[in-house]
Amino acid sequence: MSTSISNSRLTSRLWGQLTSIRLTVFLLLILAVVAVVGTLGFPGLYYTIWFLAPLGLLALNLLACLVEGLPQALKRAARPFTGEMALALPERGRFSWPAETAAPALVEEILRRELGRPRHQILGEEQVFFYGRGRLRPLGPYCVHLALVLILAGGVVGKFWGIEGRILLQPGIDGSSIELDQPGRKLPLGFLVRLEKFQVRYYEGSGGTPQEFRSDLTFLQDGAAVKQAVCRVNDPVVFGGYTFYQASYGTLPGGPVQLELTREDQRQSLELPFRRWVQLPGSEIQVMAVRVEGNLQGLGPAVQLAYRPGPGHPQFAWLLQKHPEKVKPLGPFRLALAPLKLEYYSVLQVKHDPGVGWVYGGFLLLLPGLYLAFFRPTQRWAVVLQKGRKDRWEGRLLGASPRSRETFLARTERLRERLQRGGA
Amino acid sequence: MLSQALGAVMLLYLGVGLLFLAAGLWASASLNRLARLLFGAGLAAHTAILLARWWQSYHLASGHQPLTLFSEKLRLVVLQAPMSNFYESLVFFAWCLPFLAILTWRRDLHDYLGTVVALGACLLLAYASLGGVDSRIKPLMPALKSNWLLIHVVTCFLGYAAFTLGFGVAILYLAQERRSRPSLPPRSQLDRLLYQTTIIGFLLLTLGILTGAVWAEQAWGRYWSWDPKETWSLITWLIYATLLHARLVKGWQGRRIAWLGVLGFVAVLFTYLGVSFLLPGLHSYLT
Repeated sequence: MSTSISNSRLTSRLWGQLTSIRLTVFLLLILAVVAVVGTLGFPGLYYTIWFLAPLGLLALNLLACLVEGLPQALKRAARPFTGEMALALPERGRFSWPAETAAPALVEEILRRELGRPRHQILGEEQVFFYGRGRLRPLGPYCVHLALVLILAGGVVGKFWGIEGRILLQPGIDGSSIELDQPGRKLPLGFLVRLEKFQVRYYEGSGGTPQEFRSDLTFLQDGAAVKQAVCRVNDPVVFGGYTFYQASYGTLPGGPVQLELTREDQRQSLELPFRRWVQLPGSEIQVMAVRVEGNLQGLGPAVQLAYRPGPGHPQFAWLLQKHPEKVKPLGPFRLALAPLKLEYYSVLQVKHDPGVGWVYGGFLLLLPGLYLAFFRPTQRWAVVLQKGRKDRWEGRLLGASPRSRETFLARTERLRERLQRGGA
Repeated sequence: MLSQALGAVMLLYLGVGLLFLAAGLWASASLNRLARLLFGAGLAAHTAILLARWWQSYHLASGHQPLTLFSEKLRLVVLQAPMSNFYESLVFFAWCLPFLAILTWRRDLHDYLGTVVALGACLLLAYASLGGVDSRIKPLMPALKSNWLLIHVVTCFLGYAAFTLGFGVAILYLAQERRSRPSLPPRSQLDRLLYQTTIIGFLLLTLGILTGAVWAEQAWGRYWSWDPKETWSLITWLIYATLLHARLVKGWQGRRIAWLGVLGFVAVLFTYLGVSFLLPGLHSYLT
């Protein structure tokens, strides 16, 4: 018996802590601090217990608050504003009009002009005119919190049931599997992706800024072409449950690199197989083509050369096809680049993420939630009319707005002035 | 030409700031009226300069790719909004301050509050013109070519601007609390303005993060990748979320809220400047 009491007390204390605003504020600040640390050179931190634990607690906190308050908020939002409820509002001012005034019509007119069309109800001796707005306000914070839970859930779904990787495509070699982000792991796609053509255009005179790059893709299932599509940056392609994003590209030589060597007016050409050391004729110097670029800083095609005059560490130099004058001589040799044959490869990010729908759902819910919570305060007013001494009209102005004091008070002040002036 | 005009607007903002200051010191309604009028004129000129640069930028871009269809032209107009490098972002940020202040504060924009806004805009323009920032119009890299660019940048910078206004208000509040001066706005008004700018900034920052996430999903297949700018915008969002909870649920007011407003603005500054200069990432084209 005593254990069950202390148990239930413990549960309610735990629940109290879980739904407390103190926990929320504490967790928000903790998350901010951990995120700061993460940007200072620990990018992996976001996937460790240090970030995930407070984030998980925050999700629990959000859920607990939803469970705690949402039913009541729904009830409040569903309950229409009535004359009886209006009578319970706190009083904000009184006025008194002569007996001959057409008071009900005038009150209605003033309320309509200052606020909006009021409703009217007769309760015993009293005539109640009332107007309310922002009935859905109590739902706002819960919409926001539900939206955040959806977004976090979407993240979890994506993490556990999503697939993310990349695929490197070259013309002539069909892609059949993606490299997952975990190094060395590959996942077969179940279909083939063929790079028909890769194109890159550069802005003229811009130092090599690409204007556009695109991959023309064909998807093949059981040897038959099923779909053709163009994949561009910001313009992904969907096939077979995966989405393909144009991520980047690179260049490979389409054959050996052709060098023109000049030594004391003697010219000869030399073939460099890609990434293999080659000895320059009649010397100790060895060279290797290590990289090719279609447009190096806007200067056109280029080859990066590693060279070493003998044993020891290699050094690097760029050879420019269109600017032989910028190439420094190598020992007794002057070097020039014959027209380069380049082949592009395309890198596509490949993804399957069933959580994105959840996340977007959260985004869509977040906006009306924020609007309701911050820009749609509950405001209620009522004017109660009654016949008083010598048949004069005695009126009371009532009203309340728990969360937007300033605008409410300004409106109420204006209303009171109009009413007090109104009968005269 | 445009940069000279921008220099003139900068000086105008400086003058407006001083006028508002004088209006506060001598409690003069007519000086306030004059300052507000000039502020409006400065904002109009600033707007014209932005539009002119937009036109220039569009013109340059259409040289790279001649277009005939109206829809293509319209898309290029959207893409070439002058908000795609650091210089342009500074000029736009400077524009957001008076725009938001005039739009949301209206009658409250006078005296010292006016000074804060006008000098803020002046400082940003001064940094853009005199800080050695590259002001050339550069062609857009492919990742930036998205219809989300405009809405993402506009919401983010309007959000930054709202938080900047909030910071100015918070500083005035803290000064007022140290030693109460009748010439400064009353604390209740400052508290209200701080809350008001914070909710506007919070809504806009949220929109900015959401549009950025949708864009990133479309461009890279990742709505969130812990890029430093993303992370810092999240940090900023968390701080302001804390402020709003503390105020709305715990009922905090005044000094503690003002300090949170200051802290939030430090995060905004780091999100905007610190990340661009200190931490490399997806947004590094800004520098």
